[in-house]
Amino acid sequence: MRLLQKSLGMALAAAMLLAAQPSLANPVSKLQQYDYANGVRLIVDEDHAAPDAMVQVWLKVGGRDEVPGKTGLAHVFEHMMFKGSKKLAPGEYSKKIAAMGGNDNAFTTTDYTAYFETVPSSRVDEVLGMESERFANLKLDPEQFAREIRVIQEERRMRTDDDPNSHMFEVLAATALQLHPYRNPVIGWMQDLKRLDINDVRAFYKAHYVPGNVIVVVVGDVDSKHVKKTVADTFGALKARPVPERFNPVEPEPLGPKRMIARLPAQLPLLAVVVPVPVWKPGVNDREAASLAVAMQILAGGRSALLQRELVDRQRKAFSVSGGYDPFSMGIDLWTVYGMLGKGQKPADFEAALWKLIDGMAAKPVDAQTLESAKTNMIADETYAQDSLYLRAREIGSMEVVGIGAMHRDDWLKAIRSVTADDVRQVVARWLKENRSTTGLLEPEVKS
Amino acid sequence: MMRRFLIACFVLFAGAAQALAVPAIQEAKLSNGLRVLLVEAHNVPMVAMQLAMPAGSRFDPDGKGGAATMLATMLADHTAKHDDEALADWLDARAIRLGADADQDTLGISVTALTEQLQPALDMLSECLLTPGWDNKRFKVLQQDAVAAAQKSLEEPGVRAGEASAELLFGGHPYGHRPDGTPESLAAIRLDDLQAIYRAQLKPEGSVLAVSGDISMKQLLPLLEKRLGGWQGKPAKGIFDLASAPAVAGKSERIQMSTTQTLLQLVRQGPARSAPDFFPVFVMNHMLGGGGFSSRLMAEVREKRGLVYGVYSYFVPLAVPNTFAIMLQTRADQADEAGKVVREVMRGMAAGKIGEKELKAAKDNLIGSFAQRMDSNHERVGLMAMIGMYDLPLDYLQVWTSRIESVTLAQVRDEAAKWLDPAAWNEVRVGPASRNKGKQS
Repeated sequence: MRLLQKSLGMALAAAMLLAAQPSLANPVSKLQQYDYANGVRLIVDEDHAAPDAMVQVWLKVGGRDEVPGKTGLAHVFEHMMFKGSKKLAPGEYSKKIAAMGGNDNAFTTTDYTAYFETVPSSRVDEVLGMESERFANLKLDPEQFAREIRVIQEERRMRTDDDPNSHMFEVLAATALQLHPYRNPVIGWMQDLKRLDINDVRAFYKAHYVPGNVIVVVVGDVDSKHVKKTVADTFGALKARPVPERFNPVEPEPLGPKRMIARLPAQLPLLAVVVPVPVWKPGVNDREAASLAVAMQILAGGRSALLQRELVDRQRKAFSVSGGYDPFSMGIDLWTVYGMLGKGQKPADFEAALWKLIDGMAAKPVDAQTLESAKTNMIADETYAQDSLYLRAREIGSMEVVGIGAMHRDDWLKAIRSVTADDVRQVVARWLKENRSTTGLLEPEVKS
Repeated sequence: MMRRFLIACFVLFAGAAQALAVPAIQEAKLSNGLRVLLVEAHNVPMVAMQLAMPAGSRFDPDGKGGAATMLATMLADHTAKHDDEALADWLDARAIRLGADADQDTLGISVTALTEQLQPALDMLSECLLTPGWDNKRFKVLQQDAVAAAQKSLEEPGVRAGEASAELLFGGHPYGHRPDGTPESLAAIRLDDLQAIYRAQLKPEGSVLAVSGDISMKQLLPLLEKRLGGWQGKPAKGIFDLASAPAVAGKSERIQMSTTQTLLQLVRQGPARSAPDFFPVFVMNHMLGGGGFSSRLMAEVREKRGLVYGVYSYFVPLAVPNTFAIMLQTRADQADEAGKVVREVMRGMAAGKIGEKELKAAKDNLIGSFAQRMDSNHERVGLMAMIGMYDLPLDYLQVWTSRIESVTLAQVRDEAAKWLDPAAWNEVRVGPASRNKGKQS
């Protein structure tokens, strides 16, 4: 889940990391997809259980589209989307949504920017009209920018600078990757945030907020034919513009293990290991990506997770341990495992025990019950996720923006079902090697 | 990056439903007195449930904050028949999610299962509840982990502020500590402390089982009766057997942390769940700082001045008055300025400077967003558990929007005058000692 790992850096949100495990929407619900001449794509998932709907506008624009020295720009831009357009005064967008009884929100990650509204289903047309209006006619006023960049600096202080765990993870990503844009924090380095100006924002808008980068996702109590028409009159009516190619470099293969230490004011150490691993490319590496996902489920998913059982409950090397792998990333994913260590628990011991466990998985296939249990839970997650319009819409959008395509979601389920114990062993042996890893340690500063 | 945190108003709310098609809550009682509340929803083949019992952190023994939470952890960890590993394997083999937790008033065991696994899920719920394992070795492990987690959480300014506020407002009252406990209070807990809470408070009478999902009451009741019928009794103390703490005003507390920001929290005691003016004060808070970007605090502190990423107000209604808080984080050297703006907003509202238009906007937002507050099984279970525990009328969800609609401007002004005098509040600050420190970054 790029959202948390790369942008919020909420390393402690173990449960959220696990939510990265693919949970597919209802295989029986049928997605409706429409492509418009200007490049806009619409995907509708009808569900008439409650009289509300989730409208999400996903953009193939994120941190990876920033140039050096301008980190944080995609996220700054997301904030500016609420600061006024030709028809709407600053702040008016949110006020109008609120008056409809809606909630709006927005997210930026390395791979995408998304704007979400949950509204009563009768208001979907209005929301789409407002979304496309601000998309096309944003004002980008320098005074608004000057105030908002201060808000964003406070956001960075709160999320990263004052959270020793997030701060360590930020440096860890930059240490692990040389070229891939996941090395930069989505919030931006403070040094860059202090230098950005309104012209950067304007240039970014012109280059990236083009119809060909738009995917509109609507989930809920709507009629797909009607939504199709509404989008034709709004986003679909925008003038086509060239779509810039996205920065998606091939990360050089690591030459050996790397490590970094962050000495910060903190209570207890946290040790994290990250390894670059492949992401899912439908029809190319289905089994490999699914096997990596199953391996992570075995390690960190569910109550019987191996990391918890071995490292916390049996060996007492940490008091908490978590992991995450996002097969729906773009280009590469940083496979992550981390442990939080209590008094008397030594980072070196935890690290050694972790690698012993992983090397064990590379040497010997897991037993049939462990494999079955992991797959059962991943498949059940797909049903549980249907309980939330938000999760359903997010899955569709995130598969689209990274180029996987939401229409492939059933293939992912098939791939999960086909994974064997030896597949798991093989991907662990091939990718999860200490020699390819980067280790980060949050070391509590010793008070003098 | 999230533009706005998801404001924690669901806690204070915990009361909302669909404007048009509010699902009816069905009610039944088992022979042992356990109240069962159900909303049927057959669109997803799953069932979610929560067994809520009056055994929250207010029942923690003195100096042993976190005991109820530890009890919840133990109940969900192993049983007399299944040790922790066997239980974990058993649940995962069936994709059943089972967990337990405690807030100040309530200890809840939650279970989510696919419809086809409902019977085994109920088997394990009753096994965890009725035949705890009380394994002392396992208790020591869980206790050590809880102590470490509590120490780790001291890295978070919000946790420091929450603990300080609870102490400042409630002193020796049962609400005077966080349900998670502190490293010291957790270390003081012994297994028999948990057993004492279990014996006194985990009883069918006064408890409620909230269920939402793909099942009917007719199918559900015999399944429950078979498994829980033998569970008997009444808790030593009911949910409302608690005196209110005396009011506290004008105090302040400063906690030092090496951060770039200062967290500023203004606190006082707020309304109880049963307050007769609950809806007017709820709407008033929505306008103050509960309504996200449409609230006054957000407009003044963030949108006009760029001082914070977020500022919000909330109250958590419990059996008796509990915390009402206003909270923000800002670069340390701006904390005084931000605090001043917050107090100006409070004074303005307390003086009655609130217009019809602003009231209407708040109501429109609350009423319109009603449906999404209960559009999943998990949300519905939480709402029903709250309705059941606090003995709210079963048509609470049906009448919710009309209650909001009927709040008048005069009422909101009265509430603002009643609650928002800055002199009746207290202040907690967490941050660097030197105010200039924040300028570094």
